[in-house]
Amino acid sequence: MSKIEVYEPALCCNTGVCGPDVDQALVSFSADLDWLRGQGGDITRFNMASEPLAFAGNDTVRSFLEVAGSQGLPLILVDGVTTLTGRYPTRDEITLWSRTPAVSPAAKSMTLLDTGKDSCSGPGCC
Amino acid sequence: MDTPAFLTDAPRCVFFTGKGGVGKTSVACASAIALARGGARVLLVSTDPASNIGHVFDTTIGASVTAIPAVTGLSALEIDPHQVAAAYRERIIGPVRGLLPAAEIDTITEQLSGSCTTEIASFNEFTALLDPAATHLAEFDHIVFDTAPTGHTIRLLQLPGAWTEYLQGSGDASCLGPLSGLDAQRETYAAAVRTLTDPKLTRLVLVARAQDAALREVARTYDELADIGVTAGHLIINAVLSQSDTDALAVAITRRENAAIASMPRSLAELPCDRIPLKSVEMVGVTALSALFDSSTTLSEVSDAGDAHIEPAPLSALIDELALDGHGLIMCMGKGGVGKTTIAAAIATALATRGHEVHLSTTDPAAHLADTLGEGPATMRLSRIDPVEATEQYRQRILRSRGADLDAQGRAALAEDLRSPCTEEVAVFQAFSRLVHESRRRFVVVDTAPTGHTLLLLDATGAYHREISRNLGADGGFTTPLMRLQDPAHTKILIVTAPESTPIVESVELCADLERAAITPWAWVLNNSLAAAHPTNALLRARAATEVAHIEAVASRYSSRYAIVAMASTEPTGADRLALLSGEVAVSPAD
Repeated sequence: MSKIEVYEPALCCNTGVCGPDVDQALVSFSADLDWLRGQGGDITRFNMASEPLAFAGNDTVRSFLEVAGSQGLPLILVDGVTTLTGRYPTRDEITLWSRTPAVSPAAKSMTLLDTGKDSCSGPGCC
Repeated sequence: MDTPAFLTDAPRCVFFTGKGGVGKTSVACASAIALARGGARVLLVSTDPASNIGHVFDTTIGASVTAIPAVTGLSALEIDPHQVAAAYRERIIGPVRGLLPAAEIDTITEQLSGSCTTEIASFNEFTALLDPAATHLAEFDHIVFDTAPTGHTIRLLQLPGAWTEYLQGSGDASCLGPLSGLDAQRETYAAAVRTLTDPKLTRLVLVARAQDAALREVARTYDELADIGVTAGHLIINAVLSQSDTDALAVAITRRENAAIASMPRSLAELPCDRIPLKSVEMVGVTALSALFDSSTTLSEVSDAGDAHIEPAPLSALIDELALDGHGLIMCMGKGGVGKTTIAAAIATALATRGHEVHLSTTDPAAHLADTLGEGPATMRLSRIDPVEATEQYRQRILRSRGADLDAQGRAALAEDLRSPCTEEVAVFQAFSRLVHESRRRFVVVDTAPTGHTLLLLDATGAYHREISRNLGADGGFTTPLMRLQDPAHTKILIVTAPESTPIVESVELCADLERAAITPWAWVLNNSLAAAHPTNALLRARAATEVAHIEAVASRYSSRYAIVAMASTEPTGADRLALLSGEVAVSPAD
């Protein structure tokens, strides 16, 4: 089973209800994450506002921020490999990733930056 | 000294809560003195950012337990929520400064400047004080708090079965950001909740004035806390004018106070209640505080009060300036209970009477104002935003639209997030944005305004949209509601306050909030001034004299453009009375 890490922009609340507009993607993702955990999946989300150290302490995430900035978030790593950026994953995607066998250390060193992000990103847009 | 009912058989923890300016700190200090004089060892804890308990006791207190030399058995502690929140922000941001890009550090700081952070950071501080097992507090028989936690904070700590998930350091704690990663404190939180909900350990004392708004506010706090199991409540009605006098103002104030008490919310009316008479002096020093619970004030105490001399500064002078623009947004901002609605209504009525087209929008749930103003000038339109209703509609709309495809667990999580204190800010702001747009064509006068936190969120959105339109090559011409609020030619912000120390301190904080969003207030209005009403009653004259220094401080330090509005002897509703209040028509002061 693989480990999924979701690095999110700075948010006040998980669902973004405190923001000027409520992002459906964020609401749905919060529910999907709860669901996957209920299934025993290993998924963790990091909010840049409350845990910036998790961002600074991970080379992949820090480099991503330097190139794309927080507007490129969220960034999703599966076993340390950049798998998705610029939008939240669907329930199908996290289910699939969660079930894949853990990625080998050799593959991890070939982390790629996925820059083909969705045109709509960040809270308040969608 | 008489022992009031709320201190009889006091449990270990006694919380005093209420709206700013009702005298909560004075009552808490006086209670701590009374308990200590009764032979108990007492710790007095303030979480009021405007805390002046150090000044009251002539001792520097601060963030560690400090003995008060003037009162045997009494110690004190001051927790400043803003300092606590700043320290919390620094704990998070400090380690990554220099590691993350500067723009990201700014974003994080902005997100951590909201009311959630402040609320929870200070709650964090005093949960530690509520743990009966805290050995460093074992010496104290009573802990007296001069503010109570809100229902929202406690409810988050009580989410059933959610401890593990919320506190296992994943950063997954919605609105609990400051608590994430603090699994070790889990037992402290559990103990705090047990202490708060046990009437043998905790008593909640609601402090209000004999005013509708103050009574409604404590009723709401009480209902919220009752929902989560804090039920041991007492009510104090502070600074009641109990004078038999022929002074027209004194008679009128007594009549207004009696009416407010008679119509208080039912949940309050059922509580044991103490009334504390208005005193002639400000509650500073052990001597004054020791006499707070005495049921009478002797006239010798107040007989030598001179007349308070203040320069007149009528509201009509400000209205003259406002009228020059012909249109625009006029916002009356200030903490609850200072009379924002009345001032907004007076300004709107005056502008409409002068022939301008005016839209007055109020958040005052008291519909009688709307009824009276309905007969006002024909060029004035009235609308009402009920924050509770707007918030509920917003919650239901979000649950219906965004929560439509969620399972039961997902909907429950979303519903909980929607109970965040930020939600009301957002809901009111949405209603408010429509008014901003309208003010391009006529005068729009509003008695409420979004907080700094909401403005910052909006600014972030505005900046994002501007960038998008730039990238897409749109032809500029982009104006967000925030940009209109920042434009002094379009928006005039009036800070409404009472000429008393706590409301003024709170207004200064409000200005700092606005500055963060690059909004500068236009003028201050000092409302309900006794000095400006020239009372003949000795007690009221003595109170009037205490206003002089506060008025001078506002004029010299905070705003050279200000108005002073006299305490009205009659309920200031209706076009005629509002015109008297603003000085649009001349009257004898105590009429």
